[in-house]
Amino acid sequence: MKYEAVIGLEIHVQLNAATKLFCDCPNRPGDEPNRNTCPVCLWFPGAFPRLSREALEKAVLACLALNCTIQPVSAFDQKVYYYPDLPKGFQLSQHHKPLARNGWIDIAGENGEPRRLRIHHIHLEEDVAKLVHETEGRTPISLVDFNRAGTPLIEIVSEPDLRSPHEAMEYVKTLRGQLRYTGSAECSMEKGTMRVDANISLRQEGSSGFNTKVEVKNMNSIRNVGDAIAYEIRRQTECLEKGETIVLHTRLWDPDKRATAPMRGKFSGPCIPDPSVASIVINEEWLNEIRGMLPEMPDRKAARFSGDYGLTPDEAAAMSLERDISDFFEAAAKSGAAPRKAANWIAVHLAPALRDRGAALAETPLSAERFAALLSLLEKEIINPQSAKEVLLQLLATDESPEKIVEKGGYGQVSDAVELDALIDRVIGEHPADVADYRKGNAKVLGFLMGIAMKASKGKANPKLLREILAKRLG
Amino acid sequence: MELFTHRETDPAAVSGRPGLPLSGRRVVIQPNMSRRGWPCNAGSRALENYTALEDAAIIPRLEKSGAHLAGNSRMSELGFGLAADTTVRALIEKEADIALMTDTMGEARVAAARAGIFGFKPSWGIVSRFGLIGLVPSMECYGVAAADPADISGVMQAISGKDDRDFSMPDGELPDFSQEGKTQTGSRRAGIVKEMLALLTDKDRGLFRENLKMLGSAGVEVVEVTFPEFELLQTAHQVIAAAEASSSAGKYDGVRYGYRAPGAKNWNDMYLDSRGAAFGTLVKAFLFQGAYFQFENYAAFENACRVRRRLVRSMENLLSELDLLVSPTCRMVRKDAAPSDVRGAYEEFILTLPANLTGQPALQVPGDPAGDCVGLHLTAKRLDDSRLLALGRRLAASRGAK
Repeated sequence: MKYEAVIGLEIHVQLNAATKLFCDCPNRPGDEPNRNTCPVCLWFPGAFPRLSREALEKAVLACLALNCTIQPVSAFDQKVYYYPDLPKGFQLSQHHKPLARNGWIDIAGENGEPRRLRIHHIHLEEDVAKLVHETEGRTPISLVDFNRAGTPLIEIVSEPDLRSPHEAMEYVKTLRGQLRYTGSAECSMEKGTMRVDANISLRQEGSSGFNTKVEVKNMNSIRNVGDAIAYEIRRQTECLEKGETIVLHTRLWDPDKRATAPMRGKFSGPCIPDPSVASIVINEEWLNEIRGMLPEMPDRKAARFSGDYGLTPDEAAAMSLERDISDFFEAAAKSGAAPRKAANWIAVHLAPALRDRGAALAETPLSAERFAALLSLLEKEIINPQSAKEVLLQLLATDESPEKIVEKGGYGQVSDAVELDALIDRVIGEHPADVADYRKGNAKVLGFLMGIAMKASKGKANPKLLREILAKRLG
Repeated sequence: MELFTHRETDPAAVSGRPGLPLSGRRVVIQPNMSRRGWPCNAGSRALENYTALEDAAIIPRLEKSGAHLAGNSRMSELGFGLAADTTVRALIEKEADIALMTDTMGEARVAAARAGIFGFKPSWGIVSRFGLIGLVPSMECYGVAAADPADISGVMQAISGKDDRDFSMPDGELPDFSQEGKTQTGSRRAGIVKEMLALLTDKDRGLFRENLKMLGSAGVEVVEVTFPEFELLQTAHQVIAAAEASSSAGKYDGVRYGYRAPGAKNWNDMYLDSRGAAFGTLVKAFLFQGAYFQFENYAAFENACRVRRRLVRSMENLLSELDLLVSPTCRMVRKDAAPSDVRGAYEEFILTLPANLTGQPALQVPGDPAGDCVGLHLTAKRLDDSRLLALGRRLAASRGAK
């Protein structure tokens, strides 16, 4: 029998509002433990929650970016469960009346076909405290850090429209891109500001019913989301083929063992409306204000980049995936950089360099103007690509102009035919066997000798000129 | 039994500020109303040795009006019912002039009726609940009891009004208690609910008829009306209040404050043992009922919420044709309920709890001085608190004139 996977994702995203959801404590969970607390977020008796306007704005912005319909009235419920990370006994969440419904995300499917994946709803809720388990000492203890308690989250619940690990990963990537664009959220799975839970079930291919699902948690990267789902599909397929029945439960992804294992059932209780938190009533006027804050979203921007700057669809998609990169690209193009060249250099050299440093563009001194100036040096053949790469790395560390760096580092390209002639003389003299080989008709040797010559110039030779002279001298 | 669980001893605080509306008035509060630094155990071991961290919204407002906070009375566990409550006794024994009491089913009004004084429950939402350690957030409020209704008006003027720390307060204009003296008197119509009369014994009905004469002499016309769903008021109150209480009391785990049972092997046992030992039998029974509706029969809770919305409309419709509803405040004959009998506890408040469920202001007026303790209970339109208290003052004046 052939099975088809039915996958739904529940994604928690931490909003980057300045304060917590219901009090004025700073929304900085990483600070010294229990520093950012007050009676409200310590959930002491007599304290009252007060909804943060900023958190609501950021949540609405996020919902709009995911094409959801904002509900005119939404309200908080008390989601009851008893666990040491929630000493209030309930979490304020929007169970019955969520903030937004009916959104979607467009992705490219397995074979490049367009796929629209629906979002069922998005709701606002407060995060719980963080438990730190100290297992070292004689008596293992658990410590509670309330810095995270009460910080604002949105939960994005998809329809069970996803069919493969690929679609799940694309969904998460696209969603992350859209949310980052709005500036409402960081969305880092590694740092825990985005948490993805997957619900997976199998059914006979071609059927339309839904079978018992299994929830998988604890993936700390998008790749792990794909791997965990793929593992779970294999596991469930094997179960079904052995004639076992699937039972509703939750499993944890173990990134080291690359497998899922069942976790102890966590009791999840009912939700009664909270009479102490006012309902959220959103009027059209305010909503329009928030709509006005919505930036140009990636797909629209990609289309514009293709049109305005002549990028290929792939280049345009790459340049519009992240908002800071897209702004940087556009500013560089407006500063006179050749757009396709700029896109290529951003994708091939700049982005990997940022990844290596684990830094965002804004955390480096590199400006679009200086980047354009660098490309212009390259264009004018003042430096060669090899040196340009070196200079780019330095631009990420200092705020000197590219011209200055080229001058100080002696990166200027050697285009002096006499100098290059002498260099090639030396190379030919040192590699008589290879030269003979080439002259016998082995054309591949030219590339090898080019490499030697380039190295001898410390990477500074004008490659076009070098190749020309070398070919002539060998010929 | 000690009247107070805590008494103010600071001489500066005891004297209060002179020349203000409540100057010289001594106010007793319950130990679930946060007064920074005062013990605040809400009458429960679950909050044993808990000290309030900050002042409730009402505290600085009372102080600004010149009132002197006399101390904490003893209260029933988490303000549910009147068992062991000494708040009104502090007035009878002249230790205070005004009492603030949590009113969830009608506690402030019934206690006042039994003592032969005035008791008032404001419209839901006009007093900030910030700092009130409650149990049933959608129904409870600060009730006020005093021998002189002018004191009730004075306190209401001080403590009511917008507070940006309590988002559940209604938008729009709130009652203005300062205008009370100028409130138009005019003719009034009060309705007696037929279905309510059926709950009274002949003796209660007789006493009630006696007390009604007061209204007649104050120019209030009394008519009989019907509220076919009257019985549902109590059921809806009980189902919703129990579920809300179960949710609210979930935080009492004995970890950071309150009683903690010794010897548990893990956190779950510690929760169970501590909660089992901390709550009294009545509250425990109430929380069990709430947990039942939360976990086992959520549909019944949802039904009760739907019924409540319908009852709110019925009550508003009834009051749109009348100015007041009138009944006794409590019944004379009462069986002492078993300590764990929630239904028995409710019996005592069957005439006062509708206002908590549907949000209207209600006033207990002491009846004819012939030792009557059924009182007279007046329920007014939502946010018509000020006119209701004005009527109370007129009735007090006519009693005094006799």
